[in-house]
Amino acid sequence: MTRKKLEKLGLDLPLLPTTTVGSFPKPPYLLKARRDFMSGQLKSEELRALEERATKEWIKFQEDMGLDVLVDGEMYRGDMATYFARNLDGFKISGLVRSYGNRYYRKPVITGEVKWRGPITVDWWRFAQELTEKPVKGMITGPYTMMDWSFNEYYPSRRDACLAMAKALHEEVRALAKAGAKIIQVDEPAISARPEELHEFAVEAMEMVMKGVDAYFITHICYGAFEFIYPGMLDLPADNFDLEMSNSELDLMDMFRAHPFTKDLSFGVVDVHSHIVEDVETVEKRIRRALEVLKPEQLWIDPDCGLKTRTHDETLGKLRTMMEAVKRVRGDVTLEARVRE
Amino acid sequence: MKILASNHSSYPRVGDGPGEQKHRQAYTRMERGEISEEEFERVQDEITKEVIQRQISAALDIVTDGQIRWHDPISHLARHLEGCEINGLLRFFDTNFYFRQPVVKGDLRRRRPILKREFEFAKKVSAKLLKPVITGPYTLAKLSINRSGSGLRSVVKWFTKVVSEEIADLVEAGASLIQIEEPAILRNPGDWEVFQESIEELVSSKGSSDLLLCTYFGDAAPLYQKLSKLPVDGLVLDFTYSPKLPETISRFGGGKKLGLGVVDGRNTRMENSDEMTGVLRRIISTSGPEEIHVMPSCGLGDYLPSDVAFQKLKKVVEITNTVRASL
Ligand SMILES: [Zn+2]
Repeated sequence: MTRKKLEKLGLDLPLLPTTTVGSFPKPPYLLKARRDFMSGQLKSEELRALEERATKEWIKFQEDMGLDVLVDGEMYRGDMATYFARNLDGFKISGLVRSYGNRYYRKPVITGEVKWRGPITVDWWRFAQELTEKPVKGMITGPYTMMDWSFNEYYPSRRDACLAMAKALHEEVRALAKAGAKIIQVDEPAISARPEELHEFAVEAMEMVMKGVDAYFITHICYGAFEFIYPGMLDLPADNFDLEMSNSELDLMDMFRAHPFTKDLSFGVVDVHSHIVEDVETVEKRIRRALEVLKPEQLWIDPDCGLKTRTHDETLGKLRTMMEAVKRVRGDVTLEARVRE
Repeated sequence: MKILASNHSSYPRVGDGPGEQKHRQAYTRMERGEISEEEFERVQDEITKEVIQRQISAALDIVTDGQIRWHDPISHLARHLEGCEINGLLRFFDTNFYFRQPVVKGDLRRRRPILKREFEFAKKVSAKLLKPVITGPYTLAKLSINRSGSGLRSVVKWFTKVVSEEIADLVEAGASLIQIEEPAILRNPGDWEVFQESIEELVSSKGSSDLLLCTYFGDAAPLYQKLSKLPVDGLVLDFTYSPKLPETISRFGGGKKLGLGVVDGRNTRMENSDEMTGVLRRIISTSGPEEIHVMPSCGLGDYLPSDVAFQKLKKVVEITNTVRASL
């Protein structure tokens, strides 16, 4: 069904389309530039020029790899929540909060009515799309995650805050679609934080974001705990669920056996949290396991999360392995599909 | 009746000012091998002292050591145990804080007392009542990976033995009030029997001290009646998840000591003092506990920036004073 939607949007993708979750590692020159910018030693135009250079490099990298659906690599983002908070009305940014061990981060604080004041990611999407013939995904952080990862000093409840976010993000999604984005990804890593809220308002919020926008929607969900939200999460109105699975494939496959997965699935086959590059056989086996419970037409292949914490070489190694494994499986499934026809 | 202003457990170890980065910097230098673990311990001593001073300057009656030395509520104890290894990071309940998950391989044994030295140091530098905090056996077991071949009941038993020994050490070191944190029971009420056994066993090692049983990050109302019948000296409860909790406490009584976590330790929004004192007055007048501790809903160390954490403690004191004055 969603295969048809892709065709209707004019997207001609092979079976087992390959993509990545969104972020790529920032090259050393960009990390330095960001530090210099923070300390006032670099102008924002100069930083922008280096972000563009890095984006160009990663687009070329993805094309060389043979990926089917590209991303802009998020060279311009720090953190996925604060980036949007800084570009929406109604937010300020908090002091340091502990994340784990010796890691600290800053959280968005909702201090007023959340409002979209203009396109946030559209320029970057357009910049990236002009560099390639392949489709580039539009990328936003979803309303539930924005709400869950922010302090809320303004709205009376989590629901109110989440729905206000959804209203603002709907404008961004419309702007992306208007600019020409045909595939839009809504990242919701936090969606399993409080399972009861899925049907209290998370589904409603995602509906608000996507409503009336003609695009193929992917939602990326990670940090596990799927057992608490499956199969209920299939009510989220995305066409494609991008799940972190390389660590827990067994459990998920059992869950899909017990209750069929009804949407398309971007199957995260390489572990982005490990330095070790998997061997092709392991990844190939993972894909074939997925095909035991999913139709080939349902399945996309990608790493299990953003690649920003990996080195350039690890990124190269992991994606090469992934592409090689896909190549091995693709031949078989294409044949099967033809036989079925 | 006594009404006391209390901290919950953890407190931020790093702030936003240039002078508030000592812990973070020392940690990095220790990891790089530029300073020894002993030198890092001395920095942790220093920060502990500062954090206690800050709590006292907010005018709290009961303070903690801020759990400055704790990597997280789970692995701090587990990393010192035989029979257990420490694994990767996992989300702590519904927060954005991550803990290192223990893998339990079999019976657990302490290599040495864990919290005693930390408590002795903190007690020495505190002019106010210092409350040590320990994560409870059930929560430790529930958040561990069990590779022992035995069931949950056995793992809880092993952790219970360890925590009992820790309690006995703390009592010997002079602790008169000890907080046992068991947030995991709220999400797994089906494990009540195992949980109850464990708490009963802990109580037998508490000697002359008072044990507070603490839950957070969930609605305690459905379990309140059962919790209030446990042989502990008091309960500490998170009011931010529980619209029905005040009513429930009024119905079943407040017991001996009652910790009221009414100041939200997860959000930077400042509470409305009138609203909070109204809630407290109703609980006090209908349920009549012997002693009330007004406090944050959870530890502040892993969820709030340092400046907000301090404002929250002042809010606790403000509410306490208003309620006190009105009685
Ligand atoms: Zn992810």
